[in-house]
Amino acid sequence: MNNLKNVWQSYRAVISFALMGLVLLFVGFNQSWALVIGIINMSLISAIMALGVNIQWGYAGLFNVGIMGFAALGGVSVVLISQQPVIEAIDAGGIKMLLALALGAVTIAAGVLLNRRGINKWLISLVVVIGYLLTRYYFSEASDLIEKVDPAITGYLGGFGLPVMLSWVVGGLAAAGAAWWIGKITLSLRSDYLAIATLGISEIIIYVIKNEDWFVRGLKNVYGLQRPVPYEVDMQKSEWLQNIVAWIHRSELQFLTQSEQIDKLGDYVREASVVFVKLSYSGLFLVILVAFIVLSNLALNSPWGRKVRAIRDNEVAASAMGKNITRQHLQIFVIGSAIVGIAGALLVTYDGIFIPTAYQPLRFTFLIWVMVIVGGSGNNLGSVLGAFIMWFIWIQSGPIGLWVVEMLGNYIQEGNTSLEFIEDRVHYLRLVFMGSIMLLIMRFSPGGILPEKNKEL
Amino acid sequence: MKGYLKTTAGFVLSATMASVSHADVTIGELQGFTGPLESMIGAMSGGANLAVTEANASGKYLQGTINVVQGDSVCIDPAVAIAQAEKMINDDNVMAIMGPNCSGNTGAVITNVLVPNGIVSISPSATSPALTTLEDGGWFFRTAPSDARQGPVLASIAMSRGQTDMAVTHSNSDYGKGLADAFVTAYEAMGGTVTVMAGHDDDKADYSADVAALSAGGSATLAILGYADTGGRGIIAASEDTGAFSDYVFGDGMISAVTEAAVGDGSWGTLPSPDAALGANWLAVAAAGGVDGSGVYSAESYDAMALIILASQAAGSSDRAAIQAEVMGIANGPGMECHAGKLADCLKWISGGLVVDYVGATGVEFDAGGTANGSYAEREVIGGAFTNVKIHK
Amino acid sequence: MTSDSIDIINAFALLTNFVILPALSYGSQLALGALAVTLVYSVLRFSNFAQGDSMAFGTMIVILLTGFMISRGWTISGIPTALLVIPIAIVFTSMYLLTMDRLIYRHYRKIKAKSITIVMSSIGVMFVTGGIVRFVLGATAQKFEDGERFIFSVREFKAYTGLEQGIALKTSQFLTITIAFLLVAFVFYFLQKTKTGKAMRAYSDNKELALLSGIDPDKMVQITWLLVAALTTIAGALYGLDKGFAPQQYHLLLLPIFASVIVGGIGSPIGAIAGAFLVAFSEILLTYAYKKFLIYLLPLSMHPSSLVQLIGTEYKYAISFVILVIVLLIKPTGLFKGKVIVDE
Repeated sequence: MNNLKNVWQSYRAVISFALMGLVLLFVGFNQSWALVIGIINMSLISAIMALGVNIQWGYAGLFNVGIMGFAALGGVSVVLISQQPVIEAIDAGGIKMLLALALGAVTIAAGVLLNRRGINKWLISLVVVIGYLLTRYYFSEASDLIEKVDPAITGYLGGFGLPVMLSWVVGGLAAAGAAWWIGKITLSLRSDYLAIATLGISEIIIYVIKNEDWFVRGLKNVYGLQRPVPYEVDMQKSEWLQNIVAWIHRSELQFLTQSEQIDKLGDYVREASVVFVKLSYSGLFLVILVAFIVLSNLALNSPWGRKVRAIRDNEVAASAMGKNITRQHLQIFVIGSAIVGIAGALLVTYDGIFIPTAYQPLRFTFLIWVMVIVGGSGNNLGSVLGAFIMWFIWIQSGPIGLWVVEMLGNYIQEGNTSLEFIEDRVHYLRLVFMGSIMLLIMRFSPGGILPEKNKEL
Repeated sequence: MKGYLKTTAGFVLSATMASVSHADVTIGELQGFTGPLESMIGAMSGGANLAVTEANASGKYLQGTINVVQGDSVCIDPAVAIAQAEKMINDDNVMAIMGPNCSGNTGAVITNVLVPNGIVSISPSATSPALTTLEDGGWFFRTAPSDARQGPVLASIAMSRGQTDMAVTHSNSDYGKGLADAFVTAYEAMGGTVTVMAGHDDDKADYSADVAALSAGGSATLAILGYADTGGRGIIAASEDTGAFSDYVFGDGMISAVTEAAVGDGSWGTLPSPDAALGANWLAVAAAGGVDGSGVYSAESYDAMALIILASQAAGSSDRAAIQAEVMGIANGPGMECHAGKLADCLKWISGGLVVDYVGATGVEFDAGGTANGSYAEREVIGGAFTNVKIHK
Repeated sequence: MTSDSIDIINAFALLTNFVILPALSYGSQLALGALAVTLVYSVLRFSNFAQGDSMAFGTMIVILLTGFMISRGWTISGIPTALLVIPIAIVFTSMYLLTMDRLIYRHYRKIKAKSITIVMSSIGVMFVTGGIVRFVLGATAQKFEDGERFIFSVREFKAYTGLEQGIALKTSQFLTITIAFLLVAFVFYFLQKTKTGKAMRAYSDNKELALLSGIDPDKMVQITWLLVAALTTIAGALYGLDKGFAPQQYHLLLLPIFASVIVGGIGSPIGAIAGAFLVAFSEILLTYAYKKFLIYLLPLSMHPSSLVQLIGTEYKYAISFVILVIVLLIKPTGLFKGKVIVDE
């Protein structure tokens, strides 16, 4: 028994990942590879997101509940970079919109400058209010003009028509910019303020995206985004794929009649094309994830990383030694948020659609947090493991819940009202399930499955 | 350790295999059981499953017993919707999918699942005009008409009733916003004046500010393009409490028992529906099956499910491509008319080689893009209940 | 409307009906929730993210009991049945909250965990509670209001006063404002005058000192949860009476409640109430379109053609956070000096 425990202690990471891999393999063999690779891809994206959060929480103890907002900024970048510009809309109101935005910027700048000069507060307020009203006037005129351009299909300015992979970088930069601003306001306050402020600001970001149609089409979604990988339908027509598939299944196909062969081959090619496209995504995501893990480990072992750890382990002492804690925290907050932004861009690219209403705190903030906690806060590999486990549970909890009810149903006679009641409501148990997992792990294994080494709790 | 793995693996296997028995066929029901539309899904799921119960009970469906695998699309999370759809296709081996719900999710499922895998889905409630132009390879159908049509119908009825100015509020969703755009464009082109147009969030705390702003435009008429069970209900309550508006105009999402109980006579709205008789028939069929037939999109859900079953019967198989080939013909006729509650006859006719035209609960007719092309009923609140006044083609 | 005379009375009636009364009742509902959050923060030292869902839990009990009472015919005409069952619902809610404390929060108090850890566990509680409520009641919106809806309606008011603009006073609005006022008064009396209340304040100000002077910490915690349960249940029930119940709606109430608490100064009861009314009034005042109002007040030549609206109603729920950010920038401790917990 002791032996087993020792093995577990020293090979925790290897064993856990191996187990997760086995579960996925099992699903692959029993259900389908397309399904498994789909789960893996979403897990990889979630892992990148969790990594960003883990850097903030594990390296600096920053509780960021605004993950949703940063991820959404990444999504916006995808639309802005990769969509084709809508020339008509730009002609209709593009210049006016630019002017309105410039006016807004001037107003803010004027307010800040006057404030620095120490001029009468009432006068500053007057300037700001007049500036705001003027901006609002031109702004609503411009946005009306843009939104009137074929609202069912476009009704927005469109993007720059650049390759979609560029938007991943831009998404990171956008999130970093927002994080810098939020951090400036709240990081010096510490404690729960950052949590509540990030929660609020992420909501504001979503409100702006939802309501400013001229920007990224608002509630009407942006369909058919560019892909960095080929389309399945095109793949199905490509000869090389057909040949490969025919070769793989040659033993099965050779005994069939010609028409059966074509039918069967068609099915196999279809499946192969789906798997191929998904695998291409997996490759891209995996490279990015590994790069981030390597980079963050390198950084932690650099002089900068030693400073980070010194501050985390003993803030008071570090502060006494003249380290600027707030600045340090701001750096980490910006880096972590940038990674979340990149993951947000990856997600929208993978979905091929931008849906502002999809940004819900439950899915984008709290699920990611559960991943970080379950996997092991402070440990990058832990976050990755947590992402795989929780995404698997998130996807499978529905079927498992239904299965439990069906099993119950075998013991209760047909038409029992309480059973029907449970069947109707079983979907809501997912919430209870997620919450309980989070609470249990926090209580009984505060370090998560893969706790960080050498960290005092 | 070994034992643990075995149970986990066995669990996942049986969890996904439990509902599939191989002699039968399976249809996926991909709906947003949780998420923003959760309050409406009960009636919709009821409608859909009523069609299955009916077909199974008739014993006339030839491919075996129909099973339904439910999947929670969460309505607004494309990743979950895609994963659930893929699970249905690859693991439950469904012959077609009924759903999904929200337009955004639907778009994601079309591009990422339907087209690559070659499977039919019939959505009961995705009404976004943008879906019309999305490349779907002919795999996607919807029993709810596009809002691009409902908007002009609403506008012309309003003008013919002499309502030349009104405030407009829409649910902050792709449905509400899309419908509002279509309506306002048409209404202003016909010479109507929109005094204020503002969105409202569903499931929010308080709508008094929304109503106050809407009423400040000075019009006594308010068009509510949203959901009866969530935001729309709140808007009506706040408006009635403050006496801000006396007349209302409703989009189809608002035509429900909740609404008619809350407003006075004379308010009206549109609902995709061919004629009064069909509407009444559906209510009776639904009531007999223990389903809330007045629930928004419950009739469309019944039709979506019934169409899949009938197409499979006509194809004589549960093959996905064969089903796709039949959907259009079954829905658009010509042939023997099939009505809601009469699936048994319909299945019998099809297996007997007769040509049928599925009318169903809502009088489904698809346009070339696979979007329901039916007419709209103008429904007015008379004596505290929505009553069909006129049918608009 | 077409007259060019200045009509102050109608302008005032308009503002009362559309701005003042709704903002007052919304503010009262927020105030009770904010008070609960601030109490938890002062005594238990964490921001309770489960507050919105706890309100849903309390309301769920009220709804179940109301249904039971009505089915038995145990009602009093004219009074919402929900009011009668609130005391019993409070008992259930406090049992639930105390159980959660015993199972979850107590452990972290014992090991002196960082406040952020407790905040995270409250997020777990939020999930579980929200799930329970949806499982029991479903996600559908519900109404459980019975009795008279209006004390006086717009029509009655217009007929009585002969004004062009009417004012309506709903029973639920009246009850909300009165009960909230009484409850707030009681909480302040309790904190300022009673022995237990004073002990609680002492405990909240300085734990160590309070322990030395013989205050039982477990008792303090229990009393806090009892108070919180009462505030939570009443706030939830009043809110539901006024605007209907839907789990998601209650969950989202968390945001304006937090904004109120921080704006007022976290940990300060009076600040929580001031913050709540500030949030409620600014949400409504900033998004109100003043066109009609100005038409009553200004001569014809100056009648505005636009809506005179400062911010679109779409951004109503963002306003509380904009206020929050401004307060954090200018006066981080809030309007009434709150406290920022530093980890021990």
